[in-house]
Amino acid sequence: MAETTIEVTVETTRAPSQKRSAPIVPERSVAGRTLMLLIAIMTFLSGVTLGGVVLVQKSAIAWSSDVGREITIQIRPVEGEVMESNIRTAIALAEATPGVVSAHALSLADSEKLLEPWLGAGLDLSAIEIPRLIVVELGDPHDVDLSLLERDLANIKGASLETHAAWRQQLNTMAGTIVFSGLLVLTLIVLATVLAVVFATRGTMASNREIVDVLHFIGASNSFIAGEFQGRFLALGFRGGLLGGVGAVLFFFLVAGAAGSIAPDAASAQLGFLFGRFSLGLDGITGIIAVVPVIAALTAITSRLTVRRFLSQTS
Amino acid sequence: MIAPADSETHARVIEFTNVGLRYGHGPEILKDLSFRIQPGSFHFLTGPSGSGKTSLLRLLLLSLKPSRGTVRMFDRDVGNLDQDALLDMRRHIGIVFQEFRLLEHLTTFENVALPLRVRGEPESVYRSNVSELLEWVGLGERMEALPALLSGGEKQRAAIARAVIGRPDILLADEPTGNVDPELSLRLVRLFAELNKLGTTIILATHELPLLDAFDFPRMALTDGRVVIDG
Repeated sequence: MAETTIEVTVETTRAPSQKRSAPIVPERSVAGRTLMLLIAIMTFLSGVTLGGVVLVQKSAIAWSSDVGREITIQIRPVEGEVMESNIRTAIALAEATPGVVSAHALSLADSEKLLEPWLGAGLDLSAIEIPRLIVVELGDPHDVDLSLLERDLANIKGASLETHAAWRQQLNTMAGTIVFSGLLVLTLIVLATVLAVVFATRGTMASNREIVDVLHFIGASNSFIAGEFQGRFLALGFRGGLLGGVGAVLFFFLVAGAAGSIAPDAASAQLGFLFGRFSLGLDGITGIIAVVPVIAALTAITSRLTVRRFLSQTS
Repeated sequence: MIAPADSETHARVIEFTNVGLRYGHGPEILKDLSFRIQPGSFHFLTGPSGSGKTSLLRLLLLSLKPSRGTVRMFDRDVGNLDQDALLDMRRHIGIVFQEFRLLEHLTTFENVALPLRVRGEPESVYRSNVSELLEWVGLGERMEALPALLSGGEKQRAAIARAVIGRPDILLADEPTGNVDPELSLRLVRLFAELNKLGTTIILATHELPLLDAFDFPRMALTDGRVVIDG
C-alpha cells in the first residue's frame, strides 16, 4: 500500500472572517423579481379592493346615519282643514316628542321648488293646494319614540310620517352587496396569489434540485429544507407586499387629491357626499397595511406546504 | 484534529442479505447481493460502467430501498426504519461524488460546514473544527473561495472535507478521482486511507486500474449485478 504524505498535525488555523453565513438557498435562484412584482401587484389590488370596501361601508354608514337623523311629516291638504294650523300643531307635537332636536316647516316656495322636477319651472301653483313638509331633526334616532309621534299625528287630518326606512333599507342592501362583492374579489385575489406562489415555488424547487439533493445527502431533514425555502419566500412576500401596500395607500391619497382638484366644486361636493371625499381614515390605512404581513405570511405558508409536498414526493 | 471514529462503531457492520434492486418495472440492476462489511475496513468497489456501482452506493446511503432482501446497517434493519430514523442514520454516513456537488454560491468554508449547519450547530462552535479540517486537507488558504475558483483537486478535497466533517462512521465515494489527474488521484486516495486509519469505514467506487494496483485494499467487484469480494 502506498505511504501517505499528508501532514496531519496543524499548529495554527486561519478561521474565515466572522461574517454571517450565506443563505443556503441563494436569493437569485428564487424567481425573485418576477414573483416579488407579482406579489406587489396582488397586494396592490387587495389593498385597493379593501380600501374600496372600506370607503363604501363608511359612506353607507354615514348616509344611513344622516338619513336616519331626519324624518319628514307630510301634511296633505284636506277640505275643511286649515293647513297653517295643522302645520303648527304638527311642529308642536314633534318638538314635544322626546329625542327630537328641532322641527321646522318648509316654506311654500321651497315646497313648490320640490315639485319642479316633475311639473317644470315657472308654473303658477297658487291656484292649487300642495302638500307641505315639516323636517324633523332627531338627536339619537334610537331614543326617539316614533310610534308615539305617529299616534299623535293621527289626530291631524292629512298628516303622515315618513321615516325613510325603505330608503335606508335599500341603501344598506346596496352597500352590503358592494362590500360582499369586494370581499369576494379579495378572496379571488388571495387565491390567485396562492396559486402563483405554488407555481413559483415548484419552479424554484425544480431549479434548485441540486441543492435539495445535496442537503438530503448530508442528512438535512425535510423540515429544515422547507424552512430554508420558506425563509426566502417570506422575505420575498414581505418585500412585494410592502411595495404593493404602500402603492395602494398612495393610490388613495392621489385619488383623493385628484378628485378635489380636478372636479368642479359642485361635482366635488357631490363626490364627497357619495364617497366621503375618498378619505380612508386611519382604520382604512391600517387595514391596507395589515394586508402586507398577511400576504407575506400567506406566501411563506404556501411555499412551505408546497416545498414539503415536493420533498415528500421526491425523497 | 480529526478524532478516531466512535469505538462503538466496531460493533457495527453493513450486512446485505439476498438484496435485489430494480427501478420501477425494469430489470434487476442488483441481484442477490449478500455480503458483510466490517467496521473500520476499506474496500474498493469496482466494476464496469453500468454494473450498478452507483446504485449500490445509493442503497448504502439509504437514498434507495431494496426491491427485495434485507439491508442491515449499524445492526438495524433499515427496511423497518421510519423517516426520522433513516435521517438520523444517514448522518453517520458521508458521501463524496465524482462531480463534487459543492453548492456554487457558498464558500469552501460554508460548503464544508453545511452538514453541521443543518444539524443546528452554531457557527461559533463548529468554526474552529471546520477551519482545522480545511487546513488538514490543504485548503487553509482557500476557505473564502467560491467553488468556481477552485481547481478540480481542491474541489474534491473540499467535498471530502464536507463528507467527513460530521465524523461519519461510513464514508462512501463514487468515482471521487474521475475528474482529477492520476497524480492527484493517488493523493486523494491516500487522504481516504488516512481517514480510514482514524476508524472510518470506507467504500470507494472506482474503475481506475492504476489506483487499484497502487493500494492493497480488498475489492468488491460488481459484475452483472452480482458482487464478489476478494482480499
